[in-house]
Amino acid sequence: MHSTRHSTRHATRHLGGALSALIALALLAPFATPTLPGAAADVKLIALPKRDRVEIQLDVPGLTLIEEERTIPLAKGANDVVFAWANTAIDKSTIQFRCMSDPENVQVISVSYPPNENALTWQVSSPTAGPAKVRISYIIGGVDKSYEYRAEAANDEKKLTLWQYVQLHNRTPESFGEADMFAGYGERLERPIGANETRKILAAKFENVPITKTYTADLAQHGYLDPAKRQLKIPMHYVLKNDAANGLGRFPLQAGKARIFIADGKAEGEGTTAFLGEDWAAFAAKDDELKLFLGVAKDIVVTRTIERRDRKKTAGPLSDYDIVVKYEIENFKDQPVSIDLAESIAGLRAEVLGDAPRAIEWVLGTEGSLKTPDALKSTSDRVLFHVDAPARGADQKAQKKTETLNIVLKNEW
Amino acid sequence: MTRAMSAVLVAVVSAAASAFGQQIDVSTLPPREAVQLTIYNSEDLTLVRERRTVTVAKGQNELQFSWANTLIDPTSVEIEFPGSKGGSLDVIDTRYPFDRPQALYWNVRSDFDGEALVEISYFTSGITWNADYVGVTSDDEASMTFDGYVTISNNSGADYSDAQVRMVVGTVNLVEAIRDLANRHGSGQVEAGEGGAQFDALRRAIDRKPSGGMPPPPPPPPSGGGAYGYPGPPEIVKEGLSEYFIFTVAGTHDVRNGWANRLRLFEGTKVPVKTVYRYRPMEYGDQLVKLFLVKNDKASTLGDSPLPDGTARLFRRQPTGGLSVIAFVPTKYVPIGQEFEFNLGRDPQVIFERLATRTWRDDFWFKRGDQQKLYSPTKGDRVNDNDTVVGWNDHVARVERIRNYRGAPIDVELRFPIDGDVTFVSSLNPTLFDFQTPDFKTTVGAGARKDLAYEVVSRKGTNATQNAVKLEAAK
Repeated sequence: MHSTRHSTRHATRHLGGALSALIALALLAPFATPTLPGAAADVKLIALPKRDRVEIQLDVPGLTLIEEERTIPLAKGANDVVFAWANTAIDKSTIQFRCMSDPENVQVISVSYPPNENALTWQVSSPTAGPAKVRISYIIGGVDKSYEYRAEAANDEKKLTLWQYVQLHNRTPESFGEADMFAGYGERLERPIGANETRKILAAKFENVPITKTYTADLAQHGYLDPAKRQLKIPMHYVLKNDAANGLGRFPLQAGKARIFIADGKAEGEGTTAFLGEDWAAFAAKDDELKLFLGVAKDIVVTRTIERRDRKKTAGPLSDYDIVVKYEIENFKDQPVSIDLAESIAGLRAEVLGDAPRAIEWVLGTEGSLKTPDALKSTSDRVLFHVDAPARGADQKAQKKTETLNIVLKNEW
Repeated sequence: MTRAMSAVLVAVVSAAASAFGQQIDVSTLPPREAVQLTIYNSEDLTLVRERRTVTVAKGQNELQFSWANTLIDPTSVEIEFPGSKGGSLDVIDTRYPFDRPQALYWNVRSDFDGEALVEISYFTSGITWNADYVGVTSDDEASMTFDGYVTISNNSGADYSDAQVRMVVGTVNLVEAIRDLANRHGSGQVEAGEGGAQFDALRRAIDRKPSGGMPPPPPPPPSGGGAYGYPGPPEIVKEGLSEYFIFTVAGTHDVRNGWANRLRLFEGTKVPVKTVYRYRPMEYGDQLVKLFLVKNDKASTLGDSPLPDGTARLFRRQPTGGLSVIAFVPTKYVPIGQEFEFNLGRDPQVIFERLATRTWRDDFWFKRGDQQKLYSPTKGDRVNDNDTVVGWNDHVARVERIRNYRGAPIDVELRFPIDGDVTFVSSLNPTLFDFQTPDFKTTVGAGARKDLAYEVVSRKGTNATQNAVKLEAAK
């Protein structure tokens, strides 16, 4: 037993670094003795069965499970099955051996790990002699997946087509042949994956997905475009909802880089697309929104100033602060737009009073033109309004629209 | 000297797949039939779209695309089939092999034997464009000619012959720089060798094709555009698309590696100029600056498109016909319809002084020992030597003095913030830009001096109850 195991290991080493993982079978019985070309002369029993199939399970990020099936000849009684690997980051503690053809009777008796070697030996008992289909599974490093998206918006920016690609990265010197891959949802993919190779596969395509284009003015979140002129940065997003009503919702959309294009609106066959930008798309669960950042608007100008800051003493050291924030909006586009105008209450207090380590009590005052916040998207710290900005006129002049927000900070000291 | 190489497409039918890595590249090299460059100026980014015809076999085909010695981003390379007479084609997957870092293989399924048109698109870096402007004012600075130019530079490592050129105005968001992506995958420019020169010659011969299947370019400029029979400058068609503007140069052009081309974008023939002087320390620093204000609209013979950011070179036409330099200044993006400004800095002919002419205090309040009560002599209270001053008002009489040594009246605008609980007392008809920033304006005659007088009353100590400026008319 000892000498056999030793000999098998010797053969494994002799096969060398080109092989990254191999299975060697050292049988106690004197039959089935294929010889390994070039192997040492004292090797008596060895078999190197090929993989019948490989499954790569990529559903848990950071933990890639390889399951490989091989058919090995077993002798009646105890068999030593040696599994060794080189140049591959296999987690030794995760390696499992299962017999698929006779799981009731073919069983692992023990597992031994030789010192300082990337190998292990299963002692497997079999009630009969003959071939057995076994599955060996392990967690491997260097094999992972990533997602990419291509979003192509219609010229009117009301809908888009979304392509989702999964990229399988094999950064190991191991070739997996025709591997059956599962990314965690959707269809299983059967593709060959070679050593140190990346393969990009179209995983899903969604057509005519409704989108909303948003323009957001929010000093606390996005800051100024031109602080000296008090002009706010206005980021733009395409917002789509990952639900069935919007042609999605089959599964969560995984995080990945999204490249966004738009059709140029020319006639079929003559038109092309233009690149709008790219964004890291965040994970979007079912029914959640996916926001794709498009860059900062240059044709929408929002100038924000504090028009009024009146302190009104109430009782003892307590005061109320009556604040009016003024927004002057100019739309230099030739289409009207809707702007999400947001104000952070904590940011506003810090701006006009400085920071204070206490919760903020506030109410909407009566004087502002902005009176009805979006109830779903407003919180105790952030109010959000939707404001329409008309297109510039035929004379190319942008109409300046002024909105005011009256906030009363109460019981400050 | 860098070696200019183009991307190479090789079609390999399924049976030949085993030949990868051999001398297959030059055996089935389909020529580039048309190429379109969409160049962005906000990032080092160009979208290249090219069309080629490949021969495919029914069944599975592998198409190899390689781009050695260029700055192409491998993650951006895509293939489409805009139309084939024989049938349909599908990309099964894309393979990025380990042993050829600047190549990929498309696994394509075809349901026919024959020729297929393919459109390949990818991002490259190294091709840029930028805008510059030349303005020449009349000698009274009331109007100017204002011409815009674009300069296209190619340092990508690749030649693009007979390319349709589009330039995008606007800011795109990139999460990774294209040049980094290109270099991460082993691209980069190499020194020319003998083989490289031969390859260049081969590439140029292959790529120079007379016909193109790309979307038709805008109509070419009128031939013989000049009175002398010379062709005129190429027209640049300007179109809006989403948040961007696309400038398309009519016709096709050679965009050769290492070269730059400057084209006229527009011609503003009689652009009204408004001159104004501003003191706004928040925007222009602590100085009175001279500004030219111009509108990007049709009334100003402009307004065909937004003005990309760039550099403006401004001159004044002398009565003798010569020019004198006014300023070379950077310009920001200007939407259609927006007024924009050229900051010309200080004008030595306009002197601006900020003077405090008198300061005094009043409305004192005193505290006596630990008492809560405050005492005011103004209200008739008696105060003692040991009382402490806890509240008062500071008064500063100030003058903004402007001396205009120019031969014409000037408009002056002032806007500056004042901290504290302040009353701004004046006859200047000010408004408030925000809660602490008075804003007022005046005109100063030619050769005249003007003093803009006002008083700032600042409530201090217990007198301060606000942190805002109130306006009050002088009595």
